[in-house]
Amino acid sequence: MTSRRVRRLEYLALSIVVTALIGIFTLTPIYWLVVMSLQPFTVSGIIFPFQYYPLHPTLNNYFTIIGGSYAFLIPLRNSIIVSSSVMALALTIAPLSAYAIARLRFKYKVQSLFLLMIGGMVPAIVTIAPTYVLLRAVGLVPSLLAMIIPNVFYSQPLCVFLLTTYFCALPFELEDAAKMDGYTPLQTFWRVILPISTPGLFSAGIFSFLGSYGEFMLASVVTEGYMNVATVPIGVLRFSQSVGLQWTRVSAAIMLSLIPVIVIVLVFQKWVIRGLSAGSVKY
Amino acid sequence: MENESKIALLLILPSLIGVAIFYYYPVAQTVIFSLFRMKDTQDWLASPFVGLGNYVTVLTDPHFLYAVFFTLYFMGVSIFLEFWIGLGMALAAFWVPSKMRGIVLVFIVLPWAVPPIMEGLIWKLLLNGNVGLISQGLVTLGLFKSPPLFLESPPLAQLTVMAADAWKMSSIMAILLLAGLATIDKEILDAAKVDGARTWYRFWKITLPMISPMIMVALLFRMMDALRLFDLIYAMTGGGPGTVTYTLSLWAYTYYVDYVEYGYGSAYAMVVFLAVLLISFLYVTRLSKHLRFKGEIK
Repeated sequence: MTSRRVRRLEYLALSIVVTALIGIFTLTPIYWLVVMSLQPFTVSGIIFPFQYYPLHPTLNNYFTIIGGSYAFLIPLRNSIIVSSSVMALALTIAPLSAYAIARLRFKYKVQSLFLLMIGGMVPAIVTIAPTYVLLRAVGLVPSLLAMIIPNVFYSQPLCVFLLTTYFCALPFELEDAAKMDGYTPLQTFWRVILPISTPGLFSAGIFSFLGSYGEFMLASVVTEGYMNVATVPIGVLRFSQSVGLQWTRVSAAIMLSLIPVIVIVLVFQKWVIRGLSAGSVKY
Repeated sequence: MENESKIALLLILPSLIGVAIFYYYPVAQTVIFSLFRMKDTQDWLASPFVGLGNYVTVLTDPHFLYAVFFTLYFMGVSIFLEFWIGLGMALAAFWVPSKMRGIVLVFIVLPWAVPPIMEGLIWKLLLNGNVGLISQGLVTLGLFKSPPLFLESPPLAQLTVMAADAWKMSSIMAILLLAGLATIDKEILDAAKVDGARTWYRFWKITLPMISPMIMVALLFRMMDALRLFDLIYAMTGGGPGTVTYTLSLWAYTYYVDYVEYGYGSAYAMVVFLAVLLISFLYVTRLSKHLRFKGEIK
């Protein structure tokens, strides 16, 4: 073997080691969650002797929390309703603003973007009390709408920013050509810009979904302890507090609620990473 | 062009109005709340006006001062960890063959996607004395006779939440730094290599300085996050043991939800807001430098 081939093999081996190390670092907690959720249930919560992988794996924990008095599918359903609605509404509003900021002529466009983005940096703790009062005054508490509406706008700064950077990167000749064909700005947006912007829309959609899926602070206030409108973070937390030591069931609940997130990351990883590196992501 | 301005305004209005209602209005209302001695939110107009009284009470409260200390301590340690772990992962993702990059990126992104409440519970599980992988693993390895009291011993609990935060947030650091690495001109590194610059020297003298703008953005971004830290702590320690892991946001939340003292809660929240505002101005001005606009009218 030539030394060059040796060096290539070394490089490959080292790459695999490095990849494995990163995998161990990030996946170990999730591995343990899966292991615990597959362990047979014990009343004391202790598994004896300690096992690093399940000796007798079972799906019973999942069946228990789905059925009976736990009814864990309710928060899961609520979360999916909330997050899908937020995504749909956010994707209706955000592209309009982003298009105006990125491609139309008007005064104060930088200021508009600033106004949106600075707003997005207001910490959640500042917003929850007045928002709760407001939503209660209009009779939306407790309901899923009380989470959907605020989250649509919580996601606006990020969605508009992501789409603005995306639209800014498109060639300006597009509008010139559209103008030659006699398109109005709205027609240009609808027929020229939107059709080629699916990657940007994907990123914005994923972030609005994930953001509202994990949102806890406002949800914990506007659900007022009613479990029929609880979303997943509340459901899991309350469940873990009420059953205490039953870690096998709690693990199953956490795992169930992570499945949508993991699926999204695996299926849409390209857009997730692209969106993340466009900067300014809060979750 | 008059017409185009009108359309633009119309298009941008839905987002602006919504953001005004759900971000700006609450700030104004919280300022007002913070000036009253409020037991409940229902009738702040009927509550006694105390001016800056709530702020005086909060700022002189030893709990407040300790929460400020803990928040800064948290910020320092967790961002330090996240920066180096994130940089390591970014360099690794950059360095491995392009066919493996996809897998590395999936590994890196997964922790970021775990919602913080779930993350807190997962770490509680990992550190549990009876069933925790880390606790039992340390005992199996013979490093400890009995599982360490990760969340029960005050100094250890503080470090534990920082480490848990680093697990999740190193991801975002890595992704941001990777975006920075991708902008480096390869020819410069190759030229340095030809000139005989060693790997270590190239890293310190070329790579790091060239991604320093991205490092700045990433650090500012993480600082803002650390200042408003809430979910992870709430799920993992609830502020305990005692009150040693209470953050400012957690105190505000406790005053809102547990004591229904909106005045004090609002004063705490405003402190968080002002600190975040300061950093976010730096952040937004840095970000906006990278944007080009068409038809900007100055």
